[in-house]
Amino acid sequence: MATAEAAPPPKSSGENPILYVAKPLATAARQFMKSLIRPSTIVYPFERLEDPAFRDKVAVAAGKPIGVGHVWDNYRGVHALNIATCISCNLCAFSCPDLCIDMVTVPGGDPKHPKKCPQIDYGKCSYCGFCSDACPEGCLTMTTKYELATPKRSEMVYSPQKMNEIFERKLPMNPIRVERPSNEDAILLDVPLCIGCNACARDCPTQCITMLDIPKPTPKPGEKLPKRIWKEPVINDSDCVRCGTCISVCPKECLFWGTHT
Amino acid sequence: MSNVTLFDVANGLATLLLTGLGSILPQPLHGWLINPNLIFALAATLFGAILLGASMINTIMLIWFERKMLGRFMDRRGAMHVGYAGLLQNFADGLKLFRKHTLRPREADSLGFYAGPTAYMVTSVLIFGILPISTGWSSGVLPLSLLLALAIFSFAPLFIFISAWSSNNKYSLLGGMRSAAQMIAYEVPILLAVVAVILVSGSFDLTTIVNLQQNYWFWGPLFLALLVFVVGMLAEMERIPFDLPEAEAELVEGWNTEYGGMLFAFFMLADYVRALVGSILVVLLFLGGWTLPSYVPSALTSFPLAGIFWFMLKTYIVFGVFVWIRASLPRVRTDQLLKVGWMRMIPLSLLSVVLAAMLVLVRCLPVFGCVPGLGG
Ligand code: SF4
Ligand code: SF4
Ligand code: SF4
Repeated sequence: MATAEAAPPPKSSGENPILYVAKPLATAARQFMKSLIRPSTIVYPFERLEDPAFRDKVAVAAGKPIGVGHVWDNYRGVHALNIATCISCNLCAFSCPDLCIDMVTVPGGDPKHPKKCPQIDYGKCSYCGFCSDACPEGCLTMTTKYELATPKRSEMVYSPQKMNEIFERKLPMNPIRVERPSNEDAILLDVPLCIGCNACARDCPTQCITMLDIPKPTPKPGEKLPKRIWKEPVINDSDCVRCGTCISVCPKECLFWGTHT
Repeated sequence: MSNVTLFDVANGLATLLLTGLGSILPQPLHGWLINPNLIFALAATLFGAILLGASMINTIMLIWFERKMLGRFMDRRGAMHVGYAGLLQNFADGLKLFRKHTLRPREADSLGFYAGPTAYMVTSVLIFGILPISTGWSSGVLPLSLLLALAIFSFAPLFIFISAWSSNNKYSLLGGMRSAAQMIAYEVPILLAVVAVILVSGSFDLTTIVNLQQNYWFWGPLFLALLVFVVGMLAEMERIPFDLPEAEAELVEGWNTEYGGMLFAFFMLADYVRALVGSILVVLLFLGGWTLPSYVPSALTSFPLAGIFWFMLKTYIVFGVFVWIRASLPRVRTDQLLKVGWMRMIPLSLLSVVLAAMLVLVRCLPVFGCVPGLGG
């Protein structure tokens, strides 16, 4: 430091007192003249860039890069839910990283199988779209609706019915789907462990599990037969949506993800 | 120009009120009411009330004007929802502040804490009683009105310092000390610039000064003095770029950190009252007050209240320049501020006094020719 030649301070307009005052004044005056008639700021709740009438009025689209004043169709906004096609598979709730999906009962199921649909708490949702991706039926999609402001926190929780209304509004929807290779994974059964309890068949949302009778072996003398029901689940692979519900309800953990050989 | 004066209006109103009231009341009261002394007293009160109301409304409109203009400078719109184009926004803000609880820090000195803002407000508004608005629209002939106005104007640092000191807060105190240092530093050049005007006009009376500018405004010959006066006024009004006493980035809110509710509103309002007074002083001293140059067609100067109209227009334009400066320049450092004040502004103002003295000696203006009234 001591030996180094002190570098001359960089010349800037700040060193010239006239420029220091005059230049900003000129800049500000130019800005003032530019926005005298119409400032560029959009008075948002009253004017919207995506409103075509407004865009025509201020000619936003002209000479502006593509996309200005436009909400893309793949925007990840509030979800739309088609209750009619939801199969209550729970996959959306499983995949949500923020745990903001609760499965709540909606009318339309039978007493044994209440129909459950996702209810989303937008106070927690991060709009990642995982749920939409996971939904096997494509009934949970994301829309271009982005306005959620509400005076009450409880109103941030959207019931399935509310999301169904959004669905019926037919906004541009964004079914975020990642194509999965078919049959790459399937539900397999570890036969010796199964006790034939029917839990998987009972809870399968697509009802694709059938419990088939299996022959009851005749016990050898001295051997004790396992205490079980002599049935075994058979999964109709083409109907299975790979939700994993059966795996999670199985009391013996005998169902697992695997690949058909 | 109309010859109706503000006092005529107040007097007429008072007479109307008292005779109207007297005519419906029984005799003893009637005789007591219609009484020149009482009418005069009421007229004086009304006069003050009209002046106060007009100045307050103008101040609040000034805030609106600044918000709108600053908005344009920043490519946005400013207040726009309450009232037409946000005209009533500041009244709404004032109402909100009025409804708030005024808190006083436990260790603060209550006398200074409450008296400071009140005195600041009162002295700021008091100046309106002195400033002439148009021919006849003033509170009377005060031979020393210019000096009186400037004297009251420079009370402010005292009250700011009192309220800052009694807030018992380090930021308030720092802001108050900065305010005092700044105002004292800029008081001198302002007064010297005013001396130049006084030399040329030969009068301490604002009305006389304005009437002298009937033929030529002082800003041309006294440009240097105008420059010094405007810069000094910016510092006196504590506006950006000289708003060091309430530098938000360093001192929270400066000397009014501890104030809330109505007391804060007092400070805020008084700041703008001072801004209005500053703009009015610039117009009165350098821009010809309510007069227009003689080559302007007389149709523009003969409609009723033309004087007030042109006066207010000029005032708002001057304030617009202040807003322009605020929108453009960053805040300066304390040492820079004081350096500019003592080492640049004072020599410049002395130079302007010398120039004015030479002007008076020559008794002629380069462009406008020789004028008899020059130099008093
Ligand atoms: S978008 Fe993401 S965070 Fe939101 S509900 Fe779906 S999975 Fe959960
Ligand atoms: S993933 Fe789709 S089908 Fe399954 S419960 Fe959720 S919304 Fe219904
Ligand atoms: S994963 Fe299991 S529960 Fe889900 S659809 Fe397939 S068989 Fe049914």
